[in-house]
Amino acid sequence: MPSEPLIQLREVHLAFADNPVLRGIELQVQAGQAVSIIGPSGSGKSTILRCMTGLLRPQRGSIRIGDTQVEQLHAEKELIALRKQVGFVFQQYNLFPHLSVLDNLLVAPTKVLGRNRDEARDQALVLLDKVRLGHKAAAFPGELSGGQQQRVAIARALAMRPKLILFDEVTSALDPEMVGEVLAVIRELTEEGMTCVLVTHEMRFAEEISDQVYFTEHGRIVEHGSAEQLFRAPQHERTRAFLQHALGEGGDRPSRPAPDVFSNLGRYSLSV
Amino acid sequence: MAIENLATLWHWSPTLGVGLLQNIKISVGAIGLGTLLGLLVGMLLLSPLAPLRGVAWLWVQVFRNAPWLVLIYFTSYVFPFDIQVAGSWLTFPDWLKVTIGLALPASANVAEIFRGAVASIPGTQWEAARSLALSRAQILRMIILPQCLQRMLPPWMNLYAVVTMGTALASLVGVHDLIDSAQIAANTVNRSGFTVLVYFSVLALFFSYCYPIARLTQRLERRYAF
Amino acid sequence: MSTVLHGLVGQLGQVGLDYSFLFDAYASSKLLEGALTTVWLCLFSMVGSLLVGMVLAAALTSGRYWLAWPARAFVEVTRNTPTLVQLYCAFLVLNMLINQSLGNANPMTPFAWVVLVISLHKGAFHAEALRAGIEAVPAVTLEAASSLALSRRQQLLQVQLPLALRFALPALVNNLIDLVKMTAVASAIAVNDITYASIMIWTQGDNVIELMILILAFYGLLSFGVNCMGRVLEARLRMPGYGH
Repeated sequence: MPSEPLIQLREVHLAFADNPVLRGIELQVQAGQAVSIIGPSGSGKSTILRCMTGLLRPQRGSIRIGDTQVEQLHAEKELIALRKQVGFVFQQYNLFPHLSVLDNLLVAPTKVLGRNRDEARDQALVLLDKVRLGHKAAAFPGELSGGQQQRVAIARALAMRPKLILFDEVTSALDPEMVGEVLAVIRELTEEGMTCVLVTHEMRFAEEISDQVYFTEHGRIVEHGSAEQLFRAPQHERTRAFLQHALGEGGDRPSRPAPDVFSNLGRYSLSV
Repeated sequence: MAIENLATLWHWSPTLGVGLLQNIKISVGAIGLGTLLGLLVGMLLLSPLAPLRGVAWLWVQVFRNAPWLVLIYFTSYVFPFDIQVAGSWLTFPDWLKVTIGLALPASANVAEIFRGAVASIPGTQWEAARSLALSRAQILRMIILPQCLQRMLPPWMNLYAVVTMGTALASLVGVHDLIDSAQIAANTVNRSGFTVLVYFSVLALFFSYCYPIARLTQRLERRYAF
Repeated sequence: MSTVLHGLVGQLGQVGLDYSFLFDAYASSKLLEGALTTVWLCLFSMVGSLLVGMVLAAALTSGRYWLAWPARAFVEVTRNTPTLVQLYCAFLVLNMLINQSLGNANPMTPFAWVVLVISLHKGAFHAEALRAGIEAVPAVTLEAASSLALSRRQQLLQVQLPLALRFALPALVNNLIDLVKMTAVASAIAVNDITYASIMIWTQGDNVIELMILILAFYGLLSFGVNCMGRVLEARLRMPGYGH
């Protein structure tokens, strides 16, 4: 529905010391949309996500999430309020190794949101079932595989009932056979209408689930559009070059029938 | 008042200096003897023969769990006042008894450091050497020990600093070391201002000897970090 | 009980060790008193050193130089000077000064000085171990905690400190075992611990070796106890699967 976008980035500039990383990012995400950010390493994709959750502060520009101007937040209380609404899933899962899987999901809801522990426990178990790890509630992170840990990390972010979730290259650190189980969880979330912003190298997945795709290079948005548009008919030379390199096929594929992509869905079946 | 105390301190400084030299003498002797003994015990710890390993293990357990002060009292009382060597009586000096007393726990620690260093050499080194048909003794001598020595250096230096601080205990068994000299000075001068000054000077002297060793150890640890 | 003791002493006598002093009321009561004093010294010093260690570690990692620098200076001086000298500085110097100003109202006994000095000395070692533990907590784990809207204080209490404690635990236990041995310096200022009691006895008789074995066994037993306690704690706080 056309309305104010939930997330809006305008003219965002960020530099580390003398090194400019973001050079004027313009981005918007409607509520309920899934947006992917793709591009070569070092193009600033992860930096965009970190700015959105207040882990990094831009030198210039505006980042609006809901009613909050993120770049103007200073006090810890304000950042906490922001992070109650913005979920973040890291590349390295970053589960708390001294807590069981269940306790990992309980820490934030009970300590930050003040929820009753039994209530939070029931909800956490529901979430673990959702990511097909209900039977691992008492296990510790060190006993789980990478894919399982990442699914727990997603459940942990969901436990806070955020308005949107940011995924920072969440499958890049996984062995290939575990990528599918994580992507399946994300796909389910997008189908349920959760607002998601993904930084990813999984091109086919991005094409499959995204409403909008942004291609960044050297800290700038080179091109953006609907998934179909960007992947099938990229307008920019650089986009074409990148996709060619990343997908190993020609940039324009007007003659390729759509089912070609969907036939690869078998790869994303959930492994338990 | 303060100037007077400083002047008195200056007056006593030769005595204190001689005392400090006693401490250093004991520490060098203890670490030297302790290292030789410790390497021997360490090799026994690695012996394929179980009884030898057992003896070595017992040595390490006893001397690592014993308070150093107790060991020093032990060696001071157990050894005779003089011994007969080649027909003439030689006094068994007190500082030597303390040296031996400190060498015992030092050897236990050296043995542990040695064992730890050998254990930290990756098993793949042993495998590679064995596949070249080297005997166990040859492997130890040519491949393992040279690498061990490098890894042993920082903890060994740390041990030396600890042993040096341990030499302070010598004052309790009658050795005229730095602390003993300070006590004599304080009692002779009998001014509270001077007593404060002389004891804190002792602290400062030990610090100026041991702190550089600690820093050097840290530098070496960083250099050999792997 | 006393028949068992008689039997034991008899057996040891055959090996050449004369433990008959154990039957002397004066000697055995002195030893028992000394043993108890040593146990109290250990208990008080262990608690004291852990408290000092935590305070110093907090100062060292606080990030504020006016806290960190004095803490660092204190740690370096304490770690690089002999405990005995520190004890003398405290007991002979500070105590004398307190006596001069307060006279008979000096609350510090030699026992208290020993506990204070050992707590400060070992506290410095604990502080280093805790500091290393705190710095070993991966920054990304704390980042994850902050992304879950945990405040700095909550991150500290729920994530950083629990992990730091687990990392530092082996070093802390080693320090405490060292502490048990360190309590022997109490004998230097005539605190009636087991070492002092033994000295009193063997200067009157010629049973140095027997007493030595006895007190070594006693200290060994205490160290063993602390070691076991450490193992139990390590088992309770373990993180299954961590580190691979």
